[in-house]
Amino acid sequence: MGRYLLRRALGAIPLLVGVTLLSFIITQGLGTDPVWELAGRNPTSAEINELQAQLGRDRSWLMQYVDYLSGLPRLELGHSLMTGESVRSLLIRSVPVTLALMVPGLVIGIVLAMVLGYLAARWKGRGLDRLISSISTVGMSLSLVIVVMLCQMVFSVWLAWFPARGWSTETLYQWLLHVTVPTIIVIMINLGHNVRFFRGLWVEGLNLPAVQSARAFGLPEVSIFRRRLLPWAIGPIMTRLVFAIPILLFSGSLVIESHFGIPGVGRVFYNAILSGDQPVVLAVVALASVLVVVALTIVDASVRWFDPRVRLS
Amino acid sequence: MGQNALKSDPWGNVHMAGLIQKVARFGLMLPVLAVVVACTSEAPISEGSSKVYRHVIDGAPRTLDPAQTNNVYARLLIPAVFETLYRYQYLARPYELTPSLALGLPEVSADGLTYEIRIRDDARFADSEFFENGQGRLLTASDVAWSLARLFDPATGSSVSWLLRDRIVGLESGRTYRPDELNVPGLEVIDSTTLRIHLNEPFPALVHTLARPQLSIVPHEVVDGLGPEFGLRPVGSGPFRLVEFNETGAVLVPNERFDRGVVDLAAEGYDPALHEAFGLAAIDGRPYPFLDRLEVQFISEASARWNSFRSRDGADIVMLPPELASSTISSRDPLTLQSEIAAQYHALAEPESGFIYYGMNLDHPQLGHHPDPTQETRNRELRCALGQSLDWERRNQQFYHGLGQRFAGVIPPFLPSWDDSVLSLPSGPELARERWEQAGWHAGNLPRLIYGHQAGVQPGQHFELFRANLIEAGYPSDRIEQRVYPTFADLLRGIHGSEVDVFLLGWTTAYPDAHYNLQLFYGPNASPGSNTARYSNPEFDAGFEQARRTIDDAERQARYRDLNQRLVDDCVIMGSIVRTRIHLWKRHLRMLPDREILGGFFLPFVDIEASAQP
Repeated sequence: MGRYLLRRALGAIPLLVGVTLLSFIITQGLGTDPVWELAGRNPTSAEINELQAQLGRDRSWLMQYVDYLSGLPRLELGHSLMTGESVRSLLIRSVPVTLALMVPGLVIGIVLAMVLGYLAARWKGRGLDRLISSISTVGMSLSLVIVVMLCQMVFSVWLAWFPARGWSTETLYQWLLHVTVPTIIVIMINLGHNVRFFRGLWVEGLNLPAVQSARAFGLPEVSIFRRRLLPWAIGPIMTRLVFAIPILLFSGSLVIESHFGIPGVGRVFYNAILSGDQPVVLAVVALASVLVVVALTIVDASVRWFDPRVRLS
Repeated sequence: MGQNALKSDPWGNVHMAGLIQKVARFGLMLPVLAVVVACTSEAPISEGSSKVYRHVIDGAPRTLDPAQTNNVYARLLIPAVFETLYRYQYLARPYELTPSLALGLPEVSADGLTYEIRIRDDARFADSEFFENGQGRLLTASDVAWSLARLFDPATGSSVSWLLRDRIVGLESGRTYRPDELNVPGLEVIDSTTLRIHLNEPFPALVHTLARPQLSIVPHEVVDGLGPEFGLRPVGSGPFRLVEFNETGAVLVPNERFDRGVVDLAAEGYDPALHEAFGLAAIDGRPYPFLDRLEVQFISEASARWNSFRSRDGADIVMLPPELASSTISSRDPLTLQSEIAAQYHALAEPESGFIYYGMNLDHPQLGHHPDPTQETRNRELRCALGQSLDWERRNQQFYHGLGQRFAGVIPPFLPSWDDSVLSLPSGPELARERWEQAGWHAGNLPRLIYGHQAGVQPGQHFELFRANLIEAGYPSDRIEQRVYPTFADLLRGIHGSEVDVFLLGWTTAYPDAHYNLQLFYGPNASPGSNTARYSNPEFDAGFEQARRTIDDAERQARYRDLNQRLVDDCVIMGSIVRTRIHLWKRHLRMLPDREILGGFFLPFVDIEASAQP
């Protein structure tokens, strides 16, 4: 296992270099020039040149990239060009917020989708299947922005159950207060796709000889699910769960964070892209790459661990 | 270990299934807990009986270092944390200057070149780890001098040094300014409470400039100690202390070191006829600030701002977004809100301290300056005709609640030098076409125009309306092109790089003196400076230089009017319009909001009627 993890870690280096290089070229060549964001409304040409020099943009992009890479192993990510905040502290304060915001919705959503998908697969072609499939189709058609606005209006304005805005994890109570509506939104938005995925998975699983035999022997439904289906489906479930985290973290959270005023990394990343804040963009991209590699490793390792067929092969 | 676990388990993977079950149980418990929380919560984010005011603005400041501030969002927060030498009276309109850190208005020499400013001897910075014993120290004249000088230090990365560029003797860019050895002849520290400023030439707008939040006084120990992060954890001598600041909002609490006695409403321009209805009389004679906690939310989405305002514990104030005007305004003339809204909230409609206009690239050979006088005249006629083709009434209805105020040139009605005899050219498609045809322009030779704008729905709609107006006047549609930039900074880069010929811009007037608007067309400010049009007119420049150093107020205003007339005659811009902002705020608040020239200086005077708090 140790050798396997080491191989994975070494394999991640070219990926990391590749994505940061690509991001560097894109932000440098096509992104917003931060100089115009920083210069104010009445700069002189000399001040513009001075700013270019201060940001190191008067050097070749290759030199700038080499500088960036050399700091990466020491986690020297620089400071945000816009706010002056250390990029490392910016990530340390914003990534946990997004995780605390998105993970409940992700976990509950997956569990709910597994249950609904199972019910639809178990009674395939019946009324319940059609109802769940219809809900799934509606879920897939919903626009995130509309769902966000609707939920905010219903739960925070009309019912006034939860705050319309803000974030706190000081106590469990405060966290639940602030995370509930975003969690409902995450579930609603992802449920359609997830239910569809799990329905297909369970349909295949229910046709397995082991499952058919268990049913023929009269084993209870819960027992069949727990002992036959779930172990068989660990691989796809883990893949779905683990891979969703980096995606949710860096893209899915943006709209929710913006509308609910939550200081997570999605918002940070978006602002950085818009303002041409290259150190922040590159740090987030690098972090996302690392997370993808970690996710890939976790999925592979867990499948190897739990599935004797993979281990033996 | 994994092998053992597997061996002991007849089904192979039961342990993982168990884990998933636990996760599932925890996951399913969360909504139950959430419902319990919702049902038991009476005041989710209330701070008990303390006075908490929640302000909302439509964007976020990137930093709170005054020297790096270049937007209206930072100008709201900076006066809460820092102080300037002067500020504007809370309630007086037109805006009136009043001393803040200074003791009285400056003593100005007869030639207008020397300003002697006495500074309070009791102003203290808020506590900070970078002060001796962590306790805020007295603010002195040296702090004032250094705060002005640091704008010109490259290490500061200031975006506002232009406010004092070429004004103060010896204060120039590219130098390091150390607090203990400034060596600026124009910033003479007489003693700890007296500063003498020597100018290169008379500059009557200096006191207004010193009232800008960007020229707030900062402590050098904290600036040095925090380095680039000073803008995130700023420390000043203002009425509040910042305790939290990120991309979604800021939280401030009273600065224990701030003591300016009690509110003198009369000195703040109180007029019972105008202000009594807002309950402001109750703050007279009481020490301020009144709030225990000030929360400022940064919400760029209009619907989220409105939802926050309408929710029980959300924002206490909102600036009405245009898209909600139809559901909240029942009549525009006179302005009346729908009864439900009027009953629930206080409302204030006030003109913005700025204006919207279409700028043009005057480097364009068929639109702007030209060495051939005949072509120069033809180009000017084309600019005038383009301006006449625009339907401003429709713009007003569509984008500005129908409450915008049209005016000619760059001196809007709220400035003392406004001249109601300067009229906009009559508009209409026929008039426009006739004018360009008379100048020799026709479908065959009208130039290609590239209209640049920032990405977004409303900027796109502005372009569509611009194109529709020109096409209606007979401009060939294939010669009007659109170029979209992802951000405003990109658009600015495009304008300065001559990538676009026409662009819609807004300009916020920082102080009530037309100098601030007219400098938009001053030759030496040409791109990349604020003269985005690249207007170059030696007569205008000479007139501008003369006006800005004219000490006599009436004479200076007259010169400004002449300069404005010159811009109108030259059709340098297409415009202009002043938007009307509508503020709504909850009735338990005693305040008069402002996001214009006063900006965040109103925050120390916000009070909450505790008994009426929802």
